[in-house]
Amino acid sequence: MGDPSPPVEGSNIEGESPQIEPTVETDEASITDEAELERTLGLSGGLAIGIGTMIGAGIFVFPGLAAGRAGPAAAASFAIGAVVALLVALPASELATAMPKSGGGYYFISRGLGTLAGAVVGLSLWFGLVFATAFYLVGFGYYAVDTLAELGLAVGGELVIPLALLFGAGFTVLNVTGTENAAKLQNGIVALLLSILVVFLGYGGLDAAGLVGEPTAPEQFAPLGTMPILTTAALVFTSYLGFAQVATVAGEMKDPGRNLPLAMVGSVLVVGVLYVATIFIATSAFGSEQLSQFGETAMVEVGRHYLGAVGAFAIVFGGLLATMSSANASVLSTSRAIYAVSKDALLPRGASRINLRYGTPHVALGLAGGPILVLTATGRVELLAEVASFLHLIMYGLICVALIALRRNEPEWYDPDFRVPGYPVVPALGAIASFALIGFMQPASQFVGIGIMIATAGWYLYYARDVNLKGAL
Amino acid sequence: MTRILVPLAILKGESVSAGLTTLLEPMNVTVLGYHVLPEQTPPDQARLQYEERATDALEDLATEFGAADGTADYRLVFTHDRKQTFDRVAAETKSDVYAIPGATGPIDRLLVALTGDVAVQRIVSFVGELVGERDIGVTLFLATDDGPGGRELLETAAVPLANRGIDVQTELAVGEPPLEALADAAVDHDAIVMGERAPSLRTLVFGEDAERVAAESVGPVLVVRNVEESDESNKRADRAAAMKDS
Repeated sequence: MGDPSPPVEGSNIEGESPQIEPTVETDEASITDEAELERTLGLSGGLAIGIGTMIGAGIFVFPGLAAGRAGPAAAASFAIGAVVALLVALPASELATAMPKSGGGYYFISRGLGTLAGAVVGLSLWFGLVFATAFYLVGFGYYAVDTLAELGLAVGGELVIPLALLFGAGFTVLNVTGTENAAKLQNGIVALLLSILVVFLGYGGLDAAGLVGEPTAPEQFAPLGTMPILTTAALVFTSYLGFAQVATVAGEMKDPGRNLPLAMVGSVLVVGVLYVATIFIATSAFGSEQLSQFGETAMVEVGRHYLGAVGAFAIVFGGLLATMSSANASVLSTSRAIYAVSKDALLPRGASRINLRYGTPHVALGLAGGPILVLTATGRVELLAEVASFLHLIMYGLICVALIALRRNEPEWYDPDFRVPGYPVVPALGAIASFALIGFMQPASQFVGIGIMIATAGWYLYYARDVNLKGAL
Repeated sequence: MTRILVPLAILKGESVSAGLTTLLEPMNVTVLGYHVLPEQTPPDQARLQYEERATDALEDLATEFGAADGTADYRLVFTHDRKQTFDRVAAETKSDVYAIPGATGPIDRLLVALTGDVAVQRIVSFVGELVGERDIGVTLFLATDDGPGGRELLETAAVPLANRGIDVQTELAVGEPPLEALADAAVDHDAIVMGERAPSLRTLVFGEDAERVAAESVGPVLVVRNVEESDESNKRADRAAAMKDS
C-alpha cells in the first residue's frame, strides 16, 4: 500500500490542493513521513458505531409507521432493507480494507470513479447525515415526551420539536467542548440496549408463538398487497444507514483488514435480525392499524402489552438511549465527512480546522449542527428519513460501481485484505438494488434528493473543477 | 546501549528540564511527541494542522539529547489513547526504559527503588550504564516487610555499582507503605529510577505507581519497563517493522 501514488493535480478556486501524502498502513498505526496516527478502535468499538447508529430508528421509531403502510408484511420490508444493506456492506468492506482512511464511501468513490462523482457523494453524504440526524432527533423528541408521560407529566405533542431542538443543540455544543472519551459510554449504551431488546423479544416471541399469554387472532400478512412492502422498504431503509458510518472511522480502526468487514457486515446482520423480530412481535401484539395509530412511539404500547408498566418503561428508556446514540454517532460521522471533502479541497480548508483548547473540529461540528437544527424544526419524520436514505443509497450504489470499476482494471495500489464473495454478482445486485429502492420513495423525497445532488454538482463545477482525485491515495 | 523513551505532550508545551537532558545525554533517546485527541477528531485532521509546529519542537529537543551524535531521534504520534501509543512505540524502538519528565536542576544523586516487578539485576545494570563515569551518587531504596532479607538484597545490589566506582548508599524501609516511603525518601534526591509494576486493581483505581511517584516527587522518574509482560507487543512490533520494510 506504500507504493508511490500518481501525483495529485489541480486546485480549487482558492488555490488549495488536496492534502495527500504517501502513507504506510500497519495494523496499529498509519505512518506518514513525519508523523504516526494511532489506530485505537477495536472490533467492539466498530460494532458499537454501526449498531449504535442504526438501532434507534429501526426499532424505536419505525414499527408503527411501517405497520400502518404495509401491515404485518412490514417485517418483509425490513428484511428487504437488510438484504440491500448486506449487498452493499460486502463491497464496502472490500474497499475499506483496500483504503482504510477517514471519509468512508466518499473516499472510495472519489478514488475509484473520479472527482465529480466523489464531490457529489461527499457533499451529499454531509447532507444525508444531516437529514438522518434530524430524523433521529425528532424520534428522540417523541420518546422524551413519552418519558415525561410515563413519569406522570403529561405534556402535549407540541413539545416534541422543542425538546428535539434543545438536545440537538446540546449534542453539538457537547461535541465541541467535551473532551471526555465518550466511546466507552457508547459501547455500554449499545450493550445495554441489546440486552433490553433480547429480553423483550425473547418474552414477546414466546407470547407471539402462543406459548404464553393470551392467543391473538392472526391477521392477514400483506393486507395491502406487495407494492406497499417495497415503498415501506424504501422508507425504513434509514434504519440501515449506520454500517457505512463504520467506514468513516476506517483510519482509526485497529487491524482494519479483519475488523472493518466484521464490524460492517456484523452490525447489519445483528440489527437486521432484531428489526425483523421486533416487527413480527409488534404486529402480533396489536393489529397493524392500531399500531399505526400509536405513531412514532408505538413500541412503548407493545412493551406495555407484553410486560406491563415495566415493559413500557424499559422501551421508553431504551428509545431515549437509542435515538440519542444514533443522533450522536451521526453528528460525529458528519464532522468526519466534512473533514474528508475539505482535506481534498472540495470545501474550504477552514472547514476542517480544529481548536487547540478542546482539540475538536468546531467548524465541521457547526456545519453539521446548524443544518440539523433547521431540519429538525420541520419535524417531517418520513421526509427526513427518506431523503437521508436517498442520499445514502446514491452513495451505496456508487460504492458498488466503484468496486466493479476498480476490479475490472486493478490499479497497482489496489490490494484489499478482504475480497467480496460472489463478484461480480454481489456488487452488481447491490448497485441495482440501491438505485431501485430510490424508485419506491415518495416523489417529494426524490425531488429534494435530486435537488441536493444537482446543487453539489454545481458546487463542484464552480469551486473545484480542476481538482483531480482519481487514484490519488 | 539501553534506549530510553521520553514521551512528551508536545503541543501542550510539555518539555524536559535541563537536568534530565544532561542525565540522559549519553544514552540512546527516542523523544515521543504525542498529542491526545478527543474521539470527535480524526488523528489525521490534527496532523494536518499541527504537524509542522510539533516537528519543529521535536527536532530541537532531539538535538539537545544528542541527535547530532546519532544517539537520539524522535517520533510524532497523534492518538486517541496515550497508553496504547506509549506501549507500541516503546516496543517498536525496543526501549527498555521510559521517562516521566518532571522538573529538576542538575542531578547529583539518584534514588533507585528496587521495589516493583522488574528484576533487581536489570535495574542495577541500567543505573550503572546511566551513571557511567559521571559524578552522580546513587541511593538504593527498598521497602519491604522482611528486614534482614531486604538488607541482604540491598547489599548484594550495591556491589556491582560500588565496583564501578559509584558512590552508593542504601536505604531500607521496613513495614511502611512502599509508595509513601519512596516519596519520603525522594526528598533528598534529584531523580528517581524504578521498575514498572504489572497492572492491578489498585493501579486501575489510583493510576500507575510511577505516575503517582512522579506527581509526589515533582522530579523526573525513569521507569524500567517490565519486558516479559510486553513480549507479545514486541512480536507485534517486529511484524509491523517487517511489513514496513517489505
